[in-house]
Amino acid sequence: MGQANSQLTNEELQDYQDLTYFTKKEVLFAHQKFKTLAPEKVGHNKNAKLPMAKILLYPELSVNPFGERICKVFSSSQDGDCTFEDFLDMMSVFSESAPKSVKAEHAFRIFDFDGDDMLGVSDLKQVIQKLTGENKISENDLNILVQNILEEADLDDDGALSFAEFEHIIDRSSDFLSSFRIRL
Amino acid sequence: MSGGEKKKKATRSQGWEEAGSEFYQENYPGDRDIEVLWKDPKRLATLLPSKQTRAVAATIRLRTNDTRTNKSTVRRYTANRSRSRRDSATVQRRASTIGGEVQVSMLPDLSEMRSNEETAWDEIMKIKELPIPMWKKREEKAKIMSEQHLRLQGFEQFKWKRKKAWQHFTTRLTESYHKIELWRRDLKHIEGHFGTGVVAFFRFIKWLFFLNLSITLLVGAFVVFPAFYFDDRSINCELQPSTCYKQYYCNINSSSNLALSIIQGTGQLESTPLFYGYYQNKIHSYTLFNTNMYYNLPLAYILITLVLFLVSLIAIVRTGAKGFRERLVQGEGQFYQYSNLIFGGWDFCIHNEKSARIKHKALHSELKSLLEIERLEDERQSRTKQERWRIFFLRFLVNTIVLAVLVLSGCAIYFVFRYSNQHTETNKMLRLFYEFLPSMCIVALNITVPFIFQFLLSYEHYSPLVQIRMALIRTVFLRLASLIVFYFSMYSKIRCDSGGLNTSNECSNCAGRPDCWETFVGQQIYKLLLTDFAIQLGITFLVNFCRAFLARHINNRFFKFIGEQSFDLPKHALDVVYIQTLCWVGVFFAPIISVMSSLIFFVLFYVKKFACLVNSKPSGNVYRASKSTSMFMAVMLFSYPVALAPIALIISEIRPSSSCGPFQTLDTIWSLINNTFIDTPTLVQNFVNFLVTPAFTIPLFIILILLLYYYTSVNSANRHMVTVLKNQLVLEGHDKKFLIDRLLMFIKQENDKRARLANHMMDGDTITNASSIQS
Repeated sequence: MGQANSQLTNEELQDYQDLTYFTKKEVLFAHQKFKTLAPEKVGHNKNAKLPMAKILLYPELSVNPFGERICKVFSSSQDGDCTFEDFLDMMSVFSESAPKSVKAEHAFRIFDFDGDDMLGVSDLKQVIQKLTGENKISENDLNILVQNILEEADLDDDGALSFAEFEHIIDRSSDFLSSFRIRL
Repeated sequence: MSGGEKKKKATRSQGWEEAGSEFYQENYPGDRDIEVLWKDPKRLATLLPSKQTRAVAATIRLRTNDTRTNKSTVRRYTANRSRSRRDSATVQRRASTIGGEVQVSMLPDLSEMRSNEETAWDEIMKIKELPIPMWKKREEKAKIMSEQHLRLQGFEQFKWKRKKAWQHFTTRLTESYHKIELWRRDLKHIEGHFGTGVVAFFRFIKWLFFLNLSITLLVGAFVVFPAFYFDDRSINCELQPSTCYKQYYCNINSSSNLALSIIQGTGQLESTPLFYGYYQNKIHSYTLFNTNMYYNLPLAYILITLVLFLVSLIAIVRTGAKGFRERLVQGEGQFYQYSNLIFGGWDFCIHNEKSARIKHKALHSELKSLLEIERLEDERQSRTKQERWRIFFLRFLVNTIVLAVLVLSGCAIYFVFRYSNQHTETNKMLRLFYEFLPSMCIVALNITVPFIFQFLLSYEHYSPLVQIRMALIRTVFLRLASLIVFYFSMYSKIRCDSGGLNTSNECSNCAGRPDCWETFVGQQIYKLLLTDFAIQLGITFLVNFCRAFLARHINNRFFKFIGEQSFDLPKHALDVVYIQTLCWVGVFFAPIISVMSSLIFFVLFYVKKFACLVNSKPSGNVYRASKSTSMFMAVMLFSYPVALAPIALIISEIRPSSSCGPFQTLDTIWSLINNTFIDTPTLVQNFVNFLVTPAFTIPLFIILILLLYYYTSVNSANRHMVTVLKNQLVLEGHDKKFLIDRLLMFIKQENDKRARLANHMMDGDTITNASSIQS
């Protein structure tokens, strides 16, 4: 990854370094990774917008049950298609040096399937179903699980988790920071 | 995707475009929203200001940083997120009447004047925290850059420049660190296959490697190098050896075979700096810059031993403290186990299909087991007395058996050790076999006995979590018990009975004791370490690899049963901790052991990686990173005293051998420290003496108790406060629900009234129409 054959200009690199949790080298590396998703397209236009299907080719995202949600949350056009900048945003949030608050913010948006700014019962059910994948969990168990989560975390007892409550969980969750991370 | 969502998306993207507008729009339900929402009270609840905390929190966070540009960012951000972007005029009018949040943003920006280079820079650094797309971030940055900033003057300027340079430097540093970081790729690879819990184990190996490396450096710099550098002995064994050391030295040089001496640590190796026996009790003098300096090697030797124990303890506590603190937080009756599993369960770093599938399965089984535990708990509560007695009896029985097995294995080690020492064969191979017999016995027990424990565990009806813990505790006991038996057998060998006192030979004052018993102990540990490592290699590459190979290529249930293996984290962790314990004990007797254990850990990383990636399939157990790390540190803390105890005993009680080593002439090693203390200036002596008088210790003790009392009472008060606040929160939530219900009822009434009015009007219209027609 030399700077000489890079498609990014120096100012852009400086911008990206200032505006993400990456160094210049890492930005270049990220661009390379982005390029491998669609070499032709990105070769022509470094800021090409790749459809969600292409972004989901990224190995970590392809097997991630929340892959589509992630793309949608980070896509600036809201439909899952990502430009390099969106991709960089995504990787920056998932990087090791991003603070907990930033990660929590995005995690909340990822888990918020219906986009109503609350993690309601349906959101939680979807999260659990995505987590277990093909292994089905019975409706009854699902209800018990959701009930247990709400019992633990729903501080004001309104049947849904607001962001404040979510952040509170994340503060107490010992594994979130280490698991909500994609190495470049 | 439903139509509703599509619509919402449309409004959202609209929001992004509108964000450029200068007007502030509060997220406040517009009339049309309410009309849509009144059917579903939950939706209304989400529009409450308290539920918009993210935006508000972000505002507060940035506002406190006195940055006006950021505020506008957040303003936009809030606008983006608000649901009602229509009726901007009404909302604007309304905005002045709602909470302080809005009023603040309506105020003229006084901070505009205060902007300078430094704050601008800080602002730019803050942009990355905002959840907005990159092109917006860039816009923000460009805006800040284009504005006029006050130039900082004088010292301020210097400070800022330095800050900026420092930041640059640190990014450079991390960049280059990433480049040279050890095993970075391997770790990522393992993480992708096995998740963060298993990677925590490999990080632990890495951590141990660095710990041992620093121990090696300490020992190397302060003990081995000086001893080697100042080495001025010239011993001619042709002549009659005059001192005890010379006698000993000439005796060992007789052995010949190099390979044998390398695996046994005898022969030529024995007289090198690798073992205790090499070091002399000399205070070396040298001249540096024309001044005479002294290097007290014996003192350095003992101090370094103490220091490295201290360093290790600090390292363990520091690394473990975080995990323990989390444990404490979680232990306060506040269990977030479900939320933790749901929101932190998926390892986002998993990158291949197979592991993802297994992770799905593991999470599924974990969720199931959580539910199962709950059910078991219910069951346990409703257990009959008879059943309870049965289980109690069973557990008692199993624990007795476990204890018996532990004692038996202890005895076995002891007898094997005695047996091997009684045999002094002339045949070289046979002698080698007998010498290695104890080590092999210990290692064999370490491998077989855990299987028995595992088997017994199934009869005890513990919950899965407790099962893992029990297995771990018992295996730790086994390892440490075998180590303790090893100590005892060593002690019986080097102990000096009054009956065995040999006055005829001034050099070895005990019959049957090796000439230089410290070196002898060092050699035993050296052998133990080598055997353990060799067996690790053998088991991983020969036995387990063949098993995995069979299981993979022969589709037979039997082979699958014996061949398939999961990566059993606690067992592997114990392997590693055991080596570290041996290293701690061994360094005193043979400084070489620190180098050896560093090397072993380095190789072991690859061995375990092979065991993990090639031999085993991902485990069905969900190992979590935080839990594993604190588990490792707990086991380390457990084995630390076991390593420290014999060293403490040797330093304080046992007479060092008189024919070798840096303490040849002393009664005990501790007397050296005592002598050194007496040689220090009286001021220091008085000070230390004062520290141990009651005049100092009793007040100190009282102060500590008072502090303890203070902190516990603060703690309990805080805990009380937490419960009070929690109750209040719930009450607030109920109030909110109540108010929303009232509001909805009101809206409904209004709507009904309006509808009735409209109907009425319509009726009126038709009546007038009819009358006009009539007329």
